[in-house]
Amino acid sequence: MSQIQWMIGLIPDAVLSWAYWAIIVVGITGVLAGWLGKWIPFYGNYVKVLQPVGIVLLVLGVWLRGGYDVEMAWRDKVAKLEEQVKIAEQKSQETNTVIQEKVVEKTKVIKGKTEYITQYIDKEVIKNQEIIKYIENCPVPKEIINIHNQAVDMNKAAEGPKK
Amino acid sequence: MKYIILSLAILLSACTTAPVKQKFPDVPKALIEKCDSLKKVEGDRVAITEMLKVVVQNYGMYYECAAKVDGWQEWYNDQKRIYESVK
Repeated sequence: MSQIQWMIGLIPDAVLSWAYWAIIVVGITGVLAGWLGKWIPFYGNYVKVLQPVGIVLLVLGVWLRGGYDVEMAWRDKVAKLEEQVKIAEQKSQETNTVIQEKVVEKTKVIKGKTEYITQYIDKEVIKNQEIIKYIENCPVPKEIINIHNQAVDMNKAAEGPKK
Repeated sequence: MKYIILSLAILLSACTTAPVKQKFPDVPKALIEKCDSLKKVEGDRVAITEMLKVVVQNYGMYYECAAKVDGWQEWYNDQKRIYESVK
């Protein structure tokens, strides 16, 4: 069935539309001719053929025309949806750019601030006489350092055994 | 029976999938980067200022990571809104 649809798809839409209308018109003509033919002398023999052929053509034409309209309606929907998807992808890309810039900027500021505080400790805090005295006399106890370092690794407990 | 099969064949011939696919959105590169591991205080005899610097750097790393998490949440909410706008 898909092959037939594909082959029909090769024919221009306008030609198809005209062809389907033509089948309907021929069908109606056949039905009317069959109906009127009964009263026309010497024409009665054709009635037996014209009427069924007309009915078949009329039904076929209406079916094809209906299918054509449905096809056009779906194509319209697909085109609208494609347009919406295109806009959504563009918006998505723009959003990504905004988020990327925002995160990069935040990270830059945080790194800068960290660097500034570290430098401040090296340049200013370390010169403070009270702190110099404190550093000379009171190194951080090993136990405190161990607890700090254990806290640094606390996420490893949540990771579980490696597989 | 053959009329039923024929009718079904004709009716089902209209059942085709719409050829429209929405691409899964990309993620900004900044969000894919992993968060750094926190720093440890190294050495046996450590000055309080050295320890303070490590603590400051760890705070910095936490906030860098938090910025990424905020970014992920914003990315998800925005992409969901955009995705749902296509109907």
